[in-house]
Amino acid sequence: MPYKLKVEGMDSITDMLAKAEDAAPGIAAKALYKGAGIVADEISKGARGVTTSRFKYANGWQRQPSPEEKEALLSAGAAGIAKFRHTGNSVDTSVGYSRSGYATIDGKQKPVAVIANAINSGTSFMKKQPFIRKAVSQSKAKASEAISAEVERLVAEILK
Amino acid sequence: MPTEYTQLVAALKALTQGETPNTVTLPMAENEWNTRPDADSYGIVALDFEADALHGDDIKCATAYEGSVDLFSRKKDGDGWISLICGALTDHCDGAWSLNSHMYERETGLFHWEWTFQIEG
Repeated sequence: MPYKLKVEGMDSITDMLAKAEDAAPGIAAKALYKGAGIVADEISKGARGVTTSRFKYANGWQRQPSPEEKEALLSAGAAGIAKFRHTGNSVDTSVGYSRSGYATIDGKQKPVAVIANAINSGTSFMKKQPFIRKAVSQSKAKASEAISAEVERLVAEILK
Repeated sequence: MPTEYTQLVAALKALTQGETPNTVTLPMAENEWNTRPDADSYGIVALDFEADALHGDDIKCATAYEGSVDLFSRKKDGDGWISLICGALTDHCDGAWSLNSHMYERETGLFHWEWTFQIEG
């Protein structure tokens, strides 16, 4: 015997789903902003832990950044979040110092991004202190958790 | 030290024994306490930090360490060491590595490659 299934009140659900679809890019961007913020905070925390030294050539290649260079990182504020790029259904951004401007070191204007890169990757005359890489690796899981939690919260808000 | 890391360091140091692009050896410094090798091309390998860990029942079950290999060279093509280092990383890190950056130092005239890898500890 064939059974007939009938669902009533679907109109409101389809309405809600349509609403959610419209809001999807906004939700993704909001959630991504939260996740990127966590990574940026971790990087800024790492920048505070960079060790410095006044002796420029005393340790040879084990030279450490000067206090001025660290000050440049800190005064650049938190590592910035780039403008969001929307491609198709996805949204992505980058976190870093690329828009942090310039700092005066030894009377010369130097880009903060270059200083951050030299400290992060090291050079032939400076020991590396991978504070950016460490922050990104260690906060990746935390950030993705925060993103999914935020998405759930925002979706629940819409479907209320 | 994770055994995989010691194997990787041994492999990088042994690069010079196998088929090398030339007879010159690649001086390899291990971590920060060694002195910098004075040569046209040299490498540095180091474990940097703990990248991730799996905890269960208040016990650390598995750990992933992240490290880096740096190659400094006066030659634009890295003197042929790039493919050898990539090969060693593929053999010992199960493909969990990437070329993080490639830079040129104007003051010293050195090219700088930086690979990052993750290794199970």
